[in-house]
Amino acid sequence: MSEVMERAKTIELRVLRYRPVSDAEPVFQAYQVAYSDDMSVLQVLQSIKDTLDGTLSFRWSCRMAICGSCGMMINGDPRLACNTFVRDLAPNPITVEPLRNFPIERDLVVTVGDFVKKIESIYPYIIPKTPKPVEDGEYLQTPAQMAAYESFSDCINCMLCYAACPQFGANPDFIGPGAMALLQRYNGDSRDGGQQLRLDSIAGEDGVWSCTAVGVCSDACPKQVDPANAVNQNKTKSALDFFLRFLRPGEKS
Amino acid sequence: MTPHAPKRSMSPVFWLMFGAGGMLSALFGPALIVLTGIMLPFGLGVPGRFGDYAHALRFAQNPLGKLILLAVIALFFWHGAERIFLTLKDMRAGALPVLRVATYGVAALLTLVTLALLLEIGF
Amino acid sequence: MSERRPYMRAQPRDWWAHKPYLGYTLRELTGAGVALYGGILLAGLISLARGPEAFEGFRSFLTSPISLLIHLLLLAVMIWHVVTWFQTMPKTMPKLIVGGRHVPQQNLMVAGVALAALCSVALIVLVLAVGAWS
Repeated sequence: MSEVMERAKTIELRVLRYRPVSDAEPVFQAYQVAYSDDMSVLQVLQSIKDTLDGTLSFRWSCRMAICGSCGMMINGDPRLACNTFVRDLAPNPITVEPLRNFPIERDLVVTVGDFVKKIESIYPYIIPKTPKPVEDGEYLQTPAQMAAYESFSDCINCMLCYAACPQFGANPDFIGPGAMALLQRYNGDSRDGGQQLRLDSIAGEDGVWSCTAVGVCSDACPKQVDPANAVNQNKTKSALDFFLRFLRPGEKS
Repeated sequence: MTPHAPKRSMSPVFWLMFGAGGMLSALFGPALIVLTGIMLPFGLGVPGRFGDYAHALRFAQNPLGKLILLAVIALFFWHGAERIFLTLKDMRAGALPVLRVATYGVAALLTLVTLALLLEIGF
Repeated sequence: MSERRPYMRAQPRDWWAHKPYLGYTLRELTGAGVALYGGILLAGLISLARGPEAFEGFRSFLTSPISLLIHLLLLAVMIWHVVTWFQTMPKTMPKLIVGGRHVPQQNLMVAGVALAALCSVALIVLVLAVGAWS
């Protein structure tokens, strides 16, 4: 009896639908869904898909804010659906839209390809400062050296920061906060010697210089990666490199 | 395969001047406004004559005084120019070359004017 | 045959006027205040170069109610610049590690604003001292 009483609450979800074959443009569809206080927005979406409308499409996987799949705009904010709880948003209707600043493939699924290309473009692997063969053992690192880049390695590629960033919204070619966080993860790693290579890759207008330090990327990040810091400390590095490069041997400018 | 590095942006030049102007104005801006806008004109805490023509001229003729005036005026303009340019760009207020002339161009002009005046005032 | 037809929603023209971006826009506009004050100083320099009469005219303007109002407004804008400057500036530095622990950016902001307060107070005290000594 008490379970029935608990499940009597309903919430309205207004979801932006888009079916490329049948829709000229995205259109909102409202669903009335039963919910309980423990449910996330992701669970409500799953409830819709399972019981009300099997055509609703959305990405999800881990349900615990580590895979980065379920990013979407919830009441206008970029959020992970699995990490956003109905109890915090009820009783008002909840607006659910795909991540801002990305092309919509279908419903809540956005195109990810360009983001992947950006990540690939910043040499996302250790380029050893002093390479050594396997027989000579591991590359050693102190806890303090790891602390210098560790937060940047926490990125789960959820792209909430790109949805938050208005400069990415204005310029889709901007390398963006997530890719810069990964860049700093490697440039800040004591074992790595590829700093100049990566710095050169972001010295252009579409590199760090599209950023105007709005800072909402770090606010949106569910993992406290602080991508704003990754981008802006590289402005300092890039600016110094702009002037000091003439002191480097073999610089072709 | 190494993709060739993208064309370098000129932004660092403007960003560093924006930073210098921002730091200078952050550290001394409030005091300067209080001094030149309130204390000196109304003779509060400082004798009123400190702001008179003779004193001002002596300050502006002093080499250090010239340096201070040039740094403060020019850097404050370049700081403002960068921020106004980027804000106008955010607002899509016009074509970028036009916005650049309206901001950086004006800052450059006013810097030259300041320099010229400081030299004209003599030593 | 692909059925893909990705749909790109246009960025609203007025994104900068709505949350969470309005705070950022207001922060950037403090730069206009900094430039405006620079303009007042330049006006003073121009009058100085034009001679004693022109300069007295400028001084007389500085004692007017409108000048006082402008300066008080610019002071408010400048103070907001100071606060937001030190909120933003730590982002441009690598993470500070002191004694094995990260220094929170909040601490850097407080230190920066304190330094700015110190510098401005020191400048005013310096001028007061010179005034008292002369």
